[in-house]
Amino acid sequence: MKEIGRGAAAVSKKKEEVYRKLGVVAEKLVITAKEKEEVRKKLIVTAKEKESVRRDLAASAKKLKIAYETLEAKVRERTKSLEMAAAKEKAILLSIGDGLIVTDENGVITIVNETAGEMFRGNGELIPGRGFDEAVPLENEKGALVPSSATKSAPMGLSYYYARKEAGRFPVSMMATPVLLSGKVIGAIRIFRDITYEREVDRAKTEFVSLASHQLRTPLSTVNWYTEMLLAGDAGELNGKQRKYLDEVYTSNQRMVELVNALLDVSSLELGTFVIDPQTVDVKKLAESVITEQMPQMSFKGMVFSFSCAEDVSFMRADPKLVRMVMQNILSNAIKYTPQGGKISMILSRANRKDILLRVTDTGYGIPENQKDKICKKFFRADNVRNKDTDGTGLGLYIVKSVIENAGGKMWFTSSTKAGESGTIFYAILPIGESA
Amino acid sequence: MNHMEKKPMKKKTILVIEDERPLLAAINAGLEKNGFNVISARSVEEAFNADLEKDAMGAVTVRSIEQALMYIESLERVDAIWLDHHLLGEEDGLDFVKKFKANGGRWSAIPVFVVSNAASPKTIQSYLENGVDKYYVKSNHKLEDIIKDIEAVLEG
Repeated sequence: MKEIGRGAAAVSKKKEEVYRKLGVVAEKLVITAKEKEEVRKKLIVTAKEKESVRRDLAASAKKLKIAYETLEAKVRERTKSLEMAAAKEKAILLSIGDGLIVTDENGVITIVNETAGEMFRGNGELIPGRGFDEAVPLENEKGALVPSSATKSAPMGLSYYYARKEAGRFPVSMMATPVLLSGKVIGAIRIFRDITYEREVDRAKTEFVSLASHQLRTPLSTVNWYTEMLLAGDAGELNGKQRKYLDEVYTSNQRMVELVNALLDVSSLELGTFVIDPQTVDVKKLAESVITEQMPQMSFKGMVFSFSCAEDVSFMRADPKLVRMVMQNILSNAIKYTPQGGKISMILSRANRKDILLRVTDTGYGIPENQKDKICKKFFRADNVRNKDTDGTGLGLYIVKSVIENAGGKMWFTSSTKAGESGTIFYAILPIGESA
Repeated sequence: MNHMEKKPMKKKTILVIEDERPLLAAINAGLEKNGFNVISARSVEEAFNADLEKDAMGAVTVRSIEQALMYIESLERVDAIWLDHHLLGEEDGLDFVKKFKANGGRWSAIPVFVVSNAASPKTIQSYLENGVDKYYVKSNHKLEDIIKDIEAVLEG
């Protein structure tokens, strides 16, 4: 019994042990189950999170796809517009009416448009990849080679010619402009035009003017010389009336001669064939000679005249005929447009180191405000002097202004038509020139 | 000869080459009034045949002008030439001056006065470069003034 008791106790102990162990295991199982549950829960959460992340990823992927497609479409569109713009520019460059050649920074040809190709037909050197200067030599009037510089952005308006293989050289009007990128020269564009036709037209105009001048002047000379001979009594003594009438004929004829001369001057100024013959000019002496010439007219009108020439006005390098013409015109206008008994003054002074200032002041009729901009136009006469008895070609101021401006000078005036204080001051800046 | 008698001054002879008939008449009258002897012509060809006892040369060729010049040298003394630019025929005043000066001899030393209404600076420059003494634009000068100028050059 004891053994059974002991055995039962051992069994019970073992049972307890087992129960305890089972309990531990159960506990463990419970913990495991709990853990499992937690893991399961976690898994559920993870799965949920995964799902959420998956959904987010899917949404982002969708957005990215849309963005990518949009970007791709924009790039395609942009590329297309750039291609179109480039094609347009190329089409314009290639079909431009003037010759166009583009070179890179080493003077190597990159683009030759159709017009340039046509102008230089037969020139196998005028193709992209060749050097421009070797392909198209530039010559001056005398046939000497001129180095073409692409770094100056200025129209080369002098007489230059491009040599051609098939048809001989042709005169060219050319502009060379550098192509800049971030301040660096990366090439040059040359645009040029065959001006053979313009040259011919100019030559024809000059010839016409020359012929017209001869044809107009011949009858004028005939009238002049025969009238002179009549007035000298070569055909017999004249009575008072005959002399008077002949004087009128002679005076009128002289006006025509002056008009023809003025028209020829205008023509040559406009054609650019006006010739200047620079010499050393004694300015004071020239002015005094002009004044002496005009003095009879001033005395006839009872005018008060004064002249002053600054000490530092001496010589200038200019065409004496033109300086005389400028002074004559401005002074004779002052006399013409000032009534009897008026005042005129002429002053010569140094404007600065390089220029002389001529100032002619009168107490004449003045120039109306609204007509001041027209006074130097051809044949213009202001309203306030239309009924005044004056002669003249109507071209004097136009010619004088052109001549002064061609020489690098300037002409302007101030004027008033106010009763009691009317008058005009004409100013002319005359460059002294070099080595006067 | 009585030593009190002065030798008569020989009249100077001017060859006038001008195409316009009325102007030619006026020039001749003016020159004669001032004591000149005048030979006139209206073309280069005529210049070498004018008022001279010679057969007509026919068409002008370089050879015939040279021959005419040689013949004229021996015949007539011309003290000055009054020359227009525009003339009848193919050649103009400048052609005349070039041939005339190129011929050398006595003729190339004779003063030439160009009196013309052609006033292109290029033309004037060419004349001066070819040795003419003076160029006058006709309509800008009195006839008397040009004649007085020529007198002064010939006396000087």
